[in-house]
Amino acid sequence: MSSNTKQAFAMITASLLSLPRRISVSLSMVFSVALVVCVLAGFLSMAKGFETALQSAGSQTVGVVLGGGTNQETGSEVPSSIIRTLNAMTGDIGIVRDATGMIRSSREIVVAVDVKSGDAGTNRTLALRGMEAAGPGIRDNISLSAGRLFTPGSREIVVGDRLARELGFNVGDTIRLGESEWTVVGHFSAQGSAFESELWADFDATRAAFDRQGQVQSLRVRLTEPAALSVLRAKLATITGIPLVGVSEADLYAAQSDRTANLIRLFGWPLALLMAVGATAGALNTMMNSVSDRIVDIATVRTLGFSRLSAFLGTWVEAMLIAAVGVLCGLALAWLIFNGWQASTIGANNATMAFQLTVTGGVMLNSALLGLLVGALGGALPAIAATRIPLIAALQSRG
Amino acid sequence: MTYDSTQSPYIVLNAIRKGYRIGSETVPIFSNLDLEIPRGDFVAIMGPSGSGKSTLLSMLAGIDRPDSGSLCIGTCLLHQMGEAARTAWRAGNMGIVFQFYNLLPMLNAAENVELPLLLRPLSSKERRVRVEKVLDLVGLAGRGNQHPKLMSGGQQQRVGIARAIVTDPPLLLCDEPTGDLDRKSAEDILGMLRVLNKEMGKTIVMVTHDPQAAQYASRTLHLDKGIFTEERRAAR
Repeated sequence: MSSNTKQAFAMITASLLSLPRRISVSLSMVFSVALVVCVLAGFLSMAKGFETALQSAGSQTVGVVLGGGTNQETGSEVPSSIIRTLNAMTGDIGIVRDATGMIRSSREIVVAVDVKSGDAGTNRTLALRGMEAAGPGIRDNISLSAGRLFTPGSREIVVGDRLARELGFNVGDTIRLGESEWTVVGHFSAQGSAFESELWADFDATRAAFDRQGQVQSLRVRLTEPAALSVLRAKLATITGIPLVGVSEADLYAAQSDRTANLIRLFGWPLALLMAVGATAGALNTMMNSVSDRIVDIATVRTLGFSRLSAFLGTWVEAMLIAAVGVLCGLALAWLIFNGWQASTIGANNATMAFQLTVTGGVMLNSALLGLLVGALGGALPAIAATRIPLIAALQSRG
Repeated sequence: MTYDSTQSPYIVLNAIRKGYRIGSETVPIFSNLDLEIPRGDFVAIMGPSGSGKSTLLSMLAGIDRPDSGSLCIGTCLLHQMGEAARTAWRAGNMGIVFQFYNLLPMLNAAENVELPLLLRPLSSKERRVRVEKVLDLVGLAGRGNQHPKLMSGGQQQRVGIARAIVTDPPLLLCDEPTGDLDRKSAEDILGMLRVLNKEMGKTIVMVTHDPQAAQYASRTLHLDKGIFTEERRAAR
């Protein structure tokens, strides 16, 4: 070990061993750093949870045909005759066909419905998705977790697991949606994705119940492979009338998730940074207090021949270690409070979308780095001050 | 070792000027100070408060510099050296004993004594051996694990002396080393300094208010208003 390293190590040891003398002010720094880390981790885990819910809903091998000049299901309108038109096309159109040569597709419509929830009887707006019988099968990672699928033409719904848990919808329950009663006949799992925030029902029954006859918002199709989307787009471009666009389901949900997740981050980062500025001021105060408390000790070892660098490191490393303790506390707190927390927001169809907050490695890393930055910046100035202690005055201050 | 006036001086101060700025004014401490101290001498510097004793000691310790004039210790021209060079010089050439011991309270006696050895390329075993040796020398054998707050003032000052001599520096600077001690402890400490001077050949410069402490030195200089007014040599 070099002399510089030994000096620094001795200074850091002495600094840390003297911490009990400054326990309350050091704990306040731990607390403020922990708060910054916890708040940022909360926001980032919210954004991450939202992204995960939406992105996992989308598949690259499922195409969505939208019409009316929009890239979202909301406001989209596709001609009712779309299936006939596509079926009539010969050759490869990028869509999987069944044994009879018909394309694997599902016309769909999403209706925002108010549902009374909980004992308080408050209204929740949910997304009721009407789809054709092939709809569930076209999607990836969907499985029935209870009951059965809806029967075509009947007022039956299957409920996403997350929604069923949250609102207590059991198989056999009757729920009033709009002017009519609907029976819950099953629950489905979508591996925690955004689909689990939806109610699924038969396409025609939904259109009839909500007076949307003749309306089709989107057409979901099973692509032969992810690259087949470009083939489908080329075919859609040949259809005259309403302009149609083809997007992958993954891209459709990624676009939705980006907007909201970015909005969450847009709130989270400035708030966390503002708090970090406050915490840095607190850290600065704590470490100035540390230097002031150790001023004679620092002056003494500097008189013995210790370098300025060791005086700097003794203070700066103490700040970093206190900040690190704050980071660990903040992350532990964030994990306990936020990880797995069920949250909900208004999704793309103006309906409630439930998602789960996820404190991932990336979330922890970003939050930890901000916490350590507080320690690094808050400790730097006092550490520089420690190197510039006037030795004579400091030595004379004892006694 | 005894003082030999024919020896070439170890410490030479020549035409030292030093003042402190207070506001826009400079208060002079030394206007033209000269001093020569031979190697192996034990010099006590006495004088009233504000006479410049501590300033002189700070300059000898390399933690302060004269405004002009030359300050030479051994072969080193301290007045020409920058801060980093003087820090390195302190680590290798002098030990310092403080009035209030200046031990780091969170470290035990052995760890305090070991501090200056961390500046040397020594293994931990070598450092431990040296620490034990000097603690034994100052009469604290087996007390290395004790923390300063559990020691008497006299014992703490012994640790301070052990720390000052653990690197075996040729120069020992003592700032009122008995100022905070009872008479008995003070005599022990002064006796120890005399041994270090006589038997180990350390050059010692001691600032003190105490005439009885000064009697342990081979030469006593009285400083008043920045000039030496009187010199007394101890009988051989």
